[in-house]
Amino acid sequence: MLTCDDYITPASLEAAFAAMETHCGRYRIVAGATDTFPWAREGRAGDVHVPVLIDVAKIPELNAREIAEGRVRMGAATPIQRFLDDARLAAAMPCMPRCAVWFADDQIRAQATIGGNVVNASPAADGTPPLIAHNAQVELARRDGSKIARRTLPLTDFITGPGRTQLAGDELLVAVTCDALDGYGGSFEKVGHRRSLVISLVCLAVLVKLDRARRVIEDVRLAIGGIGPVPYRLTDVEDFLRGGDLSAERLERAAEMPVSRIASRTRQDYRREVTRGFMLRGLVNAARAAGASALAGELEAAYA
Amino acid sequence: MPDLRIEAVVNGRKVARAARPHQRLLDFVRDDLNLTGNKEGCGAGECGTCSVFVDGVLMKSCLMPVAKAQGANIETVEGLAQKGELTVLQKAFHKAGASQCGYCIPGMVMAATAALRANPHADREEIKERLGGNICRCTGYQKIFDAVEMARDVQNGRLPESALDEIDAGEGDYIGKNIRRIDAPSKVSGLLRYAGDMVMPGMLHVHVLRSPHAHAKIVSLDTSAAEAMDGVEGVITCDDVPGVDGFGVFVHDQPVMARGKVRYVGEAVAAVAAEDPLIARRAAEAIKVVYEPLPAVFTAEDALSVGAPVLHDYAPDNITTHIPIRVGDIETGFAESDLVIEENYSTQAIEHAYLEPEAGLGFVDHDGVVTIVSPDQNITHHRHMLAKIIAKPISKVRFIMSPVGGGFGGKEDMIYQGMLALLAMKTRRPVRLVFSREESIAVTAKRHPSKTTLRMGLTRDGRIRAVKFRMVCDGGAYGLSTEGVMRKAAILGAGPYTIPNLQMDTIGVYTNNTPSGAFRSFGALQTQFATETQLDIAAERLGLDPFEIRRINMMQAGSQTHTKQTLKSVSLGRCLDAAEQGSGWEKGAPSQRGDTRKDLNRDDVRPAVSLGARFAVNGKVSGKQQAAE
Repeated sequence: MLTCDDYITPASLEAAFAAMETHCGRYRIVAGATDTFPWAREGRAGDVHVPVLIDVAKIPELNAREIAEGRVRMGAATPIQRFLDDARLAAAMPCMPRCAVWFADDQIRAQATIGGNVVNASPAADGTPPLIAHNAQVELARRDGSKIARRTLPLTDFITGPGRTQLAGDELLVAVTCDALDGYGGSFEKVGHRRSLVISLVCLAVLVKLDRARRVIEDVRLAIGGIGPVPYRLTDVEDFLRGGDLSAERLERAAEMPVSRIASRTRQDYRREVTRGFMLRGLVNAARAAGASALAGELEAAYA
Repeated sequence: MPDLRIEAVVNGRKVARAARPHQRLLDFVRDDLNLTGNKEGCGAGECGTCSVFVDGVLMKSCLMPVAKAQGANIETVEGLAQKGELTVLQKAFHKAGASQCGYCIPGMVMAATAALRANPHADREEIKERLGGNICRCTGYQKIFDAVEMARDVQNGRLPESALDEIDAGEGDYIGKNIRRIDAPSKVSGLLRYAGDMVMPGMLHVHVLRSPHAHAKIVSLDTSAAEAMDGVEGVITCDDVPGVDGFGVFVHDQPVMARGKVRYVGEAVAAVAAEDPLIARRAAEAIKVVYEPLPAVFTAEDALSVGAPVLHDYAPDNITTHIPIRVGDIETGFAESDLVIEENYSTQAIEHAYLEPEAGLGFVDHDGVVTIVSPDQNITHHRHMLAKIIAKPISKVRFIMSPVGGGFGGKEDMIYQGMLALLAMKTRRPVRLVFSREESIAVTAKRHPSKTTLRMGLTRDGRIRAVKFRMVCDGGAYGLSTEGVMRKAAILGAGPYTIPNLQMDTIGVYTNNTPSGAFRSFGALQTQFATETQLDIAAERLGLDPFEIRRINMMQAGSQTHTKQTLKSVSLGRCLDAAEQGSGWEKGAPSQRGDTRKDLNRDDVRPAVSLGARFAVNGKVSGKQQAAE
């Protein structure tokens, strides 16, 4: 059971830092709070008393979203649901709607935030592979005297291991920025024990951009989660596919490439099978979403 | 701690009141506003019994700090049918038989309401997807989906409103008819109060201190610090039991709270009644127990081995029950057989996972009658046991069965009612205990894990000549229903087949695991898993169709079972015919039918799980996202 003496909901970044300073060493930050209550239960952290909970979800900057100069900037408190109901966001991040629909359930994603998903740094976090595929950067802020100091670093550097990040004690994650990939086809594949509320055994984000004739892969982004301690980009597969024809033979070769790298703690054989299938299905689905007209019929029938 | 002042609109009414900063929206709505329609099934966002609308968006109120609801417009299940008239969806749940135990139903109705608000034309796949955050343990979901589709069609005018009316069954003519449940309106509206929803004036809250050890001697137990805490009204241990301390369905081997030693992790050691649940919790933590760990045993095999730790003095061999049945002579039967198969089968412990965690109230009424209100599946037996435990005449003990939010056998044991009685007697105030989900899983009975060795002899034409069946079950730390489960396993386990020579042994064993007890089918599942699997293996080896081998051996009207019951009628043949037809079964031995099964992947078979139905174009899910299960 989680108990606290005070629950503070700052209305600005300045007020949040003031509260963090006043209650230094005695607070915990919450945003969506969807992982906070389950964390403080028997079997995880047990009974936890946090003197002060600071809720950052109502800070305007953490809820702002803008798309400019080829980048998406979204506040850390953006609920996952926005990827389903904000059409501009969905267009700029083409694999996110499918990621969102797999994320927890309809109710939790109305409350859970993208920033919380990143800061929790679960090896199986559904939000992370798509963000990595979008070259995501995290924007961190802290109070420096009367000013607010900010630093930016790539998401892949920010997450250092399961549950571990580079977030400093006095810092807040304020925003995540990403490549805006309008015109790409996106896909997100995930498998777990059931449809909703399930931790991914494997999840895969795929983004494909085709040439004007819809036959050559101009660009491709692939990121995978659940098969090792942190999600990562499959850059060798991207290099292999980029600039080449969209052919069944090449997609099948690409699908084999990451299979040997499965390094999860459990169920490696199963993950190899799944990864091979997901690579094909993800690439086919993303290519179709990008407007591919002529995919090998057999491949499409099997995986689309 | 500085209280928050929460101002919100709840079901159309303005609410302004203090709340404690750690409260969840669920606590605020249930405990402070007494709107108990939405439930707490898990407290971890997994089950959806707590789903409420916050500013029109469905949320899990067990995951939402109450401070987040500041200024919000909140709608609970009570808000749906506010004028007394059920909504179309609620009527459809009633009509379709979607509510059974009813505990998930308030959340399920809310999720269905949200789904049809989001898309009034949602198809069945999309409905499934949108209801994915809500769990039901009774229905298998099909009736729930039927209800949502029915409501959708009525709302869209594709079905007349009269589709929601009850079919007039005719006086006394109920068999084979869709009769609506009379308790459904109270369940779909959230008005039905389960034990954990009930409050009484002056009521105290109970928290139980539980054993962290699987097997340990209790060296000392000091409750003085807990008793001294403000707000604590009573602490009990086994020393507070005035009568004969022991309960169980067959053997009364379990004390109300541990006496002298603990035998499993989670066993009750002491209990506190206090003015609020948090004080009770803190007081339980303040109880000092010194344990001396004892060697423990965690498998039935180990418990049966020579020199194994003994759990109960009365059972030095650790055997709870052994049921032997002998018919004919198995050696002769095996000698007459053309094929003898011996295989080993095992099944695991299974949690019932009813949506309603255990809860109960205890009070002593104006006539001195000790009264227990709980979702108890066996109140008459419990009443008799409790009378002996608290040394009162039966006329001074009363059990009231509250609505059971799912039982499946898991609420047959008097696992906490004794503590409620003792605390009510000690404090002279009403007391209430509500289990957490974790507590419910850790403490209450599971399905018996089993290990079976089955030797079966058959003639070439598929007739069973002999069966030697030995099942050893892990009964856990206390007897509970183990004896009955072993008996029923021995009676039913060899299947509805004529077996001339049979040796059947079912053995329940004490271990330091969570006690095993009643669970749907009560011992038949474990044994029939072995028997039916073995028949499939035999069919394959003999080149027989699996249906045929069962028809060859099935009992007929007039057959005598191995426990000497003469059967007046047998419906197995009709049952097999219906299963064969319904499944589109392709005749032949499993080994003869080749790689392609025509009876699979038919249009009338439920499709694999898919996701993304809400992106569907013209009913076709683009980029079929099937889970690779």
